[in-house]
Amino acid sequence: MSDDFDVIVIGAGHAGCEAAWAAARLGSRVALCSLSRDTVAHMPCNPAVGGTAKGHLVREIDALGGLMGEAIDATGIQFKLLNRSRGPAVWSPRAQADKREYGRWVRARLETEPNITWICGKAGRIVIESDRIRGIELEEGGGFIPGRALVITTGTFLNGLIHIGPETQPAGRAGEPPSRDLAESLKSFGFRWGRLKTGTPPRLLRESIDFDGGVSRGTFVEERGDAEPVPFSFLTDAIAREPTSCYLLYTNEAVRDLVRAHVGESPLFNGQIKGIGPRYCPSLEDKIVRFPDRERHQVYLEPEGVESREIYVNGCSMSLPRAVQESIIRALPGLADAVVLRPGYAVEYDFIQPTELRRSLETKRIAGLFLAGQINGTSGYEEAAGQGLMAGINAARLVRGEPALGLGRDQAYLGILIDELITKGCLEPYRMFTSRAEHRLLLRIDNADLRLTPIGRSIGLVDDTRWSRFEARQARFARNREALQSTALRTPCGNRASALEWLRRPEVKLADLYRDGQIALEVQAGQEGLDLASLETTIKYEGYLRRQVATVERLRREEGRRIPEAFAFATVPGLSREVIQRLSEVRPDTLGQALRIPGVTPAAVAVIGAYLGRPMRPAAS
Amino acid sequence: MPSTFFSSSDTIVAIATPPGRGALGVIRLSGPDAHRIAGTLLGRSTPLEPRRATFARIRRSRSIDQVVATFFPGPASYTGQDLVELGAHGSPIVLRQIIDAAVAAGARLAEPGEFTLRAFLNGKIDLVQAEAVADLIDSVTPLQARAAFDQLEGTLTDAISAIDARLFDVIARLEASLDFPDEGYHFVDPGDLVRELDRILADTRALLRRAETGRLIREGLQVVIVGKPNVGKSTLFNTLAGAARAIVTAQPGTTRDLLTETIDLDGLKMTLVDTAGIRETHNEVEREGVLRARRAQDVADARILVLDGSEPLDAEDVAILLNDQNSRDLCVVNKVDVGSAWRAADVPALLGRPVVMMSLRTGEGVDALKPALLQALGVEAPERDPVRVTNARHIGLLTDCIESLARARAAVDMSGGAIPEEFVLDDLHDAREKLEQVRGRRAPDAVLQEIFSRFCIGK
Repeated sequence: MSDDFDVIVIGAGHAGCEAAWAAARLGSRVALCSLSRDTVAHMPCNPAVGGTAKGHLVREIDALGGLMGEAIDATGIQFKLLNRSRGPAVWSPRAQADKREYGRWVRARLETEPNITWICGKAGRIVIESDRIRGIELEEGGGFIPGRALVITTGTFLNGLIHIGPETQPAGRAGEPPSRDLAESLKSFGFRWGRLKTGTPPRLLRESIDFDGGVSRGTFVEERGDAEPVPFSFLTDAIAREPTSCYLLYTNEAVRDLVRAHVGESPLFNGQIKGIGPRYCPSLEDKIVRFPDRERHQVYLEPEGVESREIYVNGCSMSLPRAVQESIIRALPGLADAVVLRPGYAVEYDFIQPTELRRSLETKRIAGLFLAGQINGTSGYEEAAGQGLMAGINAARLVRGEPALGLGRDQAYLGILIDELITKGCLEPYRMFTSRAEHRLLLRIDNADLRLTPIGRSIGLVDDTRWSRFEARQARFARNREALQSTALRTPCGNRASALEWLRRPEVKLADLYRDGQIALEVQAGQEGLDLASLETTIKYEGYLRRQVATVERLRREEGRRIPEAFAFATVPGLSREVIQRLSEVRPDTLGQALRIPGVTPAAVAVIGAYLGRPMRPAAS
Repeated sequence: MPSTFFSSSDTIVAIATPPGRGALGVIRLSGPDAHRIAGTLLGRSTPLEPRRATFARIRRSRSIDQVVATFFPGPASYTGQDLVELGAHGSPIVLRQIIDAAVAAGARLAEPGEFTLRAFLNGKIDLVQAEAVADLIDSVTPLQARAAFDQLEGTLTDAISAIDARLFDVIARLEASLDFPDEGYHFVDPGDLVRELDRILADTRALLRRAETGRLIREGLQVVIVGKPNVGKSTLFNTLAGAARAIVTAQPGTTRDLLTETIDLDGLKMTLVDTAGIRETHNEVEREGVLRARRAQDVADARILVLDGSEPLDAEDVAILLNDQNSRDLCVVNKVDVGSAWRAADVPALLGRPVVMMSLRTGEGVDALKPALLQALGVEAPERDPVRVTNARHIGLLTDCIESLARARAAVDMSGGAIPEEFVLDDLHDAREKLEQVRGRRAPDAVLQEIFSRFCIGK
């Protein structure tokens, strides 16, 4: 057994990298198996990290000790805090990445970790012994890798099929082969499957676009991002890179007419594609056909890196034939001379219904087998990374005989993400939104560390550097609050009030008081904005936060009742057959989770609650 | 609660008609074996035709009775399960034998309310409707029955759904503005938001306002008749009760104890209480009567204050009028045939209460009594607004809902939106949860669905 790896990770995308990193840092000997070391942490679609709710996920990954936050801070080329004009619970960081630099940074970080062994090869059959992982075979004579836990993060590679007009090509993503044996092997375990679709826009040659001309003619709007970037990571002191601009333009009637004229050639509309695509990220064909009343649609031109020659055409994901794509691109205002380097495409792929998973992301059927990322039906780098992190942590904990780490819906977006996947399954590619969080006011980007870093520390993932920084931040927070309490201000009406009381007024801003020199606060370089936000939010919205905490406590009491792991729902009298089937598939661990399963009514959950609350019958009867 | 109560995998049987003899008695069977058990009882090998009355005989060792059997296959039945109704003759002995036969064939005796519970568990009715079934069966006046029937029909559910739909629309727009800031949409106009929240608040408040009368309809109400001795209280009591229940004499202080009579006043269940005339007295029995009269007033839903119009008001009249005003007081000025010693408009102690002038002796003005009483009770025209909240649980939840809505509305107002949307949304989600609790249902997470179906999201 000494040759065994503790944890084998298949795939080195965003999920695989976080999984390998977390497991290795927790002391597991990790085999990281990927097709190539050149596509580590690759961004096959938009060259950006974050966005609404996704930015929250990245902050949480970072707070637990994951990689993504530091990686994007080091390689981002334009940062923007979304929803800045709104409240602190929906501020979300987003950054354009230099995608090549991003992948290199992550690879370099993983290469510093001695517990990780890199294996270049194509994963094949999964080897099990009495429903327990033994290891994995590599295709093309690559041999057998023994291991005690296996984390599969193969993205869209399972039976991937690319569509460009009538052309189809089996592939995970452009230029890479799909995984067949692995797919067959997974299917043989009896998992429930589904098929999804996603897509990507064409890439244009940077030199073929006259950006300055577009701006001066009013065709393009230049977007520079924030002058003072807010970093993703709690460890970042400063964002080093100079910002790079993106450009906004709009579709016109010519584009609309072209799409309408050729929509019959789109695999999305002629029945060639069976998989279900994400409604929040529709293709250009979808937008124009399904929303005919909307006059124009936004298109962003985004550079894929500082040196990169490729421009990503955000908003123009499509699967029309190559020639049609070229005409559409050239019909866009300001892009008459644009050169299409690579056409957009749609990709269909298999995913495993994540209701097959436990909260640890281990499958219920095979002990030691973990799944993370797009294979679970999600979309997005951040959702993938978050799952990878949790799967890596739990694979390492399983090997060490420790109980799984599960985060609650009231603790983290990561908790919501996993709860929804394992409870509801996926009908379309799953993306995180802030509206999915019922305790949204508590799950802010400014307090991700306060929520999660102590958990990361307790499991051993947060190292001393991060921990001492966290302790300093907590102490700073307490001292700053004290300062607000003890500083008296003269209000505009001439009264005196403590800064803390004054700050409770909605229109009074802490940043203004601080910048005007009315109050002295301690700040940490780079973290100033969110540090102050934590302070201000907990004071100004104290009533709201307290009410939400009370709701959390009430729900924990009412819905937190545990359902035993092996509970036989079929023995509960009064449940319909469908409800029993849904419950038996998902196997909820609490009444609250049972209540979130689609098709399970509150009445049914009340029945289970009553049944669980029944006094034990005497053994003799 | 018996441990079998929640079971709906077995087949239950019960007599659906009230105990005692009647022309007909109905037995219901619900559950997976309902049809098989009915077949055994009827000695049939051919299946019953769905939803068709079939004449048959119940057989055991011999024929027990002739019945009409109707088979309602699930899920299109009251309980959502297979259901068979057997209409037999209404002899308790025969019905008992049929029940015994059904139990022998594998059915279980139903617990009270179990058929409705199954309907609720199977999603055939919501909580409001389940509660309404019990109310409908328990109703003793037409107005009670009507209010319960309206709830069963879903009028309250509909009224709440209508409010919920508008609240949902506001929530979806606000959520869209938070989750999709870069889509180039203007999802919410602040002015529209304020107007819409005001309308939702007004609708919810109106629903709750009608709740109080709804509760009176459901639970009935107690009306106490008070006044000085010998002003005609007992005559009024007898007039409303439609019978000479109270002893009426010319001697003041005849009524000593409380007399009660439950009447149906145009559909409203009302317990009428006649009391001893209130005055200072040294008679021990009468003094106890006065004490009881005062206590009865304290717990009554409404009072009828009776005054003698032929005599000037004295200190005792005024004391009664000024003594704790009830919002549903009605003043009856009696003995107008004898004389008119004062005009209502000149008596400030009436405190603006509604007044009816009458002579209980001649019958003059008595016709105006019932409408005036109904008006004083706030239920003058029940047919015009049939949607009523009649249940204390609903009232509590709607009150909470209004509190959350009002907080959200106030936050929107505050210094032109200085309270950010996510905080406003927190209260709106709370309000919506309360509406869902009334119906005993949790709405699916449809906010994102709504956004995607209405807006082209995805730059």
